[in-house]
Amino acid sequence: METLENGLRVVVENQPWNPGLSFTLLVPVGAVNDPPDRLGAASMLETWLWKGAGVRDAKAFANALDSLGVSRASGTGIEYTTFSASLLPEGLPATMELYSDLISRPHLPDDAFESVRSLALQELAAIEDQPARKLMKKLRREAFTSAHGQPVEGEKETILSMTPAALRAEYARRYGPGGSVLAVAGGVKPDNVYRLAEEYFGSWSGAVSGEVPVRLSSPHRFHLQQETEQVQIGLFYKDVPPGDYDFYAARLAASILSGGMSSRLFTEVREKRGLVYSVSASPGSVKGFGYLLAHAGTTPSNAQETLDVVRRVIEGLREGVTRAELDRAKIGLRADLVLAGESSRARSASLARDVFILGKPRSLEEIEAEVMDVTLDRIDLFLSRHAYENPWVGTLGPVEVV
Amino acid sequence: MSAVEFHEATLANGLKVIAEVNPEAKSAAAGYFVRTGSRDEVAGEEGISHFLEHMVFKGTERRSAWDVNREFDEMGAKYNAFTNEEMTVFYGAVLPEFLPRLLDLLTDLMQPALRPEDFESERKVVLEEIALYRDRPDAVLFERAQRRYFGMHPLAKPVLGTPESIAKMQVGQMRAYHQRRYVPGNMILAFAGNLVWEEILLLAEAMTANWARGEAVRNHPPFKPRPGLERDPFDKASQLYTTFMSPGYSARREERYMARVLAEILGDADNGRLFWRLVDAGLAESAMAFHHEFDDLGVFYVYIQGDPTNEEAVSEAVMTELQGLQSGGITSEELERAKLKAATSLVFAGETTLSRLFYLGVNYSYTNRYEPLNAVRRWLLHLETYHFDEVLEEKPFAETLEYRLVPAG
Repeated sequence: METLENGLRVVVENQPWNPGLSFTLLVPVGAVNDPPDRLGAASMLETWLWKGAGVRDAKAFANALDSLGVSRASGTGIEYTTFSASLLPEGLPATMELYSDLISRPHLPDDAFESVRSLALQELAAIEDQPARKLMKKLRREAFTSAHGQPVEGEKETILSMTPAALRAEYARRYGPGGSVLAVAGGVKPDNVYRLAEEYFGSWSGAVSGEVPVRLSSPHRFHLQQETEQVQIGLFYKDVPPGDYDFYAARLAASILSGGMSSRLFTEVREKRGLVYSVSASPGSVKGFGYLLAHAGTTPSNAQETLDVVRRVIEGLREGVTRAELDRAKIGLRADLVLAGESSRARSASLARDVFILGKPRSLEEIEAEVMDVTLDRIDLFLSRHAYENPWVGTLGPVEVV
Repeated sequence: MSAVEFHEATLANGLKVIAEVNPEAKSAAAGYFVRTGSRDEVAGEEGISHFLEHMVFKGTERRSAWDVNREFDEMGAKYNAFTNEEMTVFYGAVLPEFLPRLLDLLTDLMQPALRPEDFESERKVVLEEIALYRDRPDAVLFERAQRRYFGMHPLAKPVLGTPESIAKMQVGQMRAYHQRRYVPGNMILAFAGNLVWEEILLLAEAMTANWARGEAVRNHPPFKPRPGLERDPFDKASQLYTTFMSPGYSARREERYMARVLAEILGDADNGRLFWRLVDAGLAESAMAFHHEFDDLGVFYVYIQGDPTNEEAVSEAVMTELQGLQSGGITSEELERAKLKAATSLVFAGETTLSRLFYLGVNYSYTNRYEPLNAVRRWLLHLETYHFDEVLEEKPFAETLEYRLVPAG
């Protein structure tokens, strides 16, 4: 990893066998630093940025990327926005130049603003048709009292009251190299990337948003009434943050809960009882804080039993795990790492996130060594001290479950 | 990429074994591709292909359901299965040293025990899966549009079946279906990644030695597209969900590549004609087009999601673009961009062992031949605008079904 003078951190993982490469440009602009009266600003900015940059209007910009064969994506989350590209190595200089235009010389044209607003409103409305997503969004909002609970998509009122000037001010206030990361993985030499990064991103300047400390509400329950076929059930448990000594023990515990089909949740909820098609628990994190999100969907007559069993299984972790379970979780995570290592897209995204959350990249070998280091005693000691209990519980559906 | 080698063999029992070997890969993948799906179901079997896919994981004479789940996880395998109208696929990816064990497990699963008690508990899971999709307007749209477009053709049947068909299903029917469809002549065993061909072939031969030969047939009734416009109010939709279906090319026809490029020019998510007309203009949240290939026919799909107040404007815009493409054709600049993008995306399709396995297995199941990604890539790059004349002269968009799912009331 190298840090440019303007603060942009650049990280490269060479995959010598790979004929392609991917990069992820991460900027620390997310729902967490949307002002309360401008909720949705980060997401709207992401859309607006694509509407022309540098010497090109929107169409010319898209054509230029297509002419390089670049497949691209962008997305906004709680803490950051990412812009990613997958391409052949010979196109890297030209593509980096285009992405540099995109984030540091966007036109943010007035005449595209209403369409950006319209898309934001439609995206917000579409969540109503996605019951699981709607519930999990509300669950985050209920659990965090800090800005981490703010909706990425914004709210109807804040989207309607947004102006081009307000959104430009958000761009000026939040887009900059400090706190941002450029991560590259694939068939490319690191020195080459550092040189190109300096050339195309070295003169980028701009401000950085401050960090927001995490605050939580007291655990509680809520229900959203909606006429659906299935009841959606969501649980939010406090977990270990990345960088913590127990982080990998917690990751293995999550895998024992919900890794493969022999995991505890799948076995108890689906295999033994036939209560659901889908049940899962997955670890998540924001800077400095980790959580475990569990989800299940089931028809109303099964809802109470499903919630009870899911809680019993997760909270039963405090009794410890078996050696066989730990061994399966370890080999599963090892295989995940190998398979993730085959994909330049997955690696560039993980590297960017690592640098953002931890301040440094983790190599696959390093993660594997950490996972292998977790002994049965160590995970049992962790589970006895860190109880998964007292969750925030949300339900959505035609009946309320208590 | 240069180190990749293809091998194939047909075992004495009729099972076709194929492999794309890459000694540089860090993983290996295996899969059984069974040429069976909802279109092969007879009356009373609606949803049985998919239900059987679930039951396959419930164990064999040698293994309980728990044994199956545990053994996959003991290998750290990334594994799953899927069923569609024409194919049921069981697959896994592992570190290379586990490949023989993965093969043993997958092979055993092809002869499932179908125990009545497992059948009852899994019936509940399948009913939950159906309920899950009934809460998703996009899934409901495609199921209903397909039923309307295909009419009496077997591709009209929903893959998951219906709550009624699943509730009535008997384990005896499933045994009969399995016997009829899961026969060596109707399956392909495919491998990709880091493996030694001669070794894995010997293992496959030994593990399937007791399989009885057998062939399965598929009906290919004639199909006539059923164009028209349907407007379907749905109480779980707050947005507009629209699809346009037009006749395309089967998975066995070379024109499918041209059709894919046309779909890309029309409906690429970042730079397609529909994107500029609808999404850039703020009329719809998403607009895309793709070409889907079945065994004996293909379909151009357009999918639009957005604000229901723009319903008529969206319809008019898509129809105008379809007509414009059909009568005006494509420009050489559009073609250059689309083929370069498609060619580059093939490089990424070849990145992971699992995506190579799917590409290999699905393609071979339809065409009975191996098409290396590199060759397809080179071929795409040589396309010129005149190659599209024949496809457009058939006027695919003259027979379009437009199906709209709209908010109820």
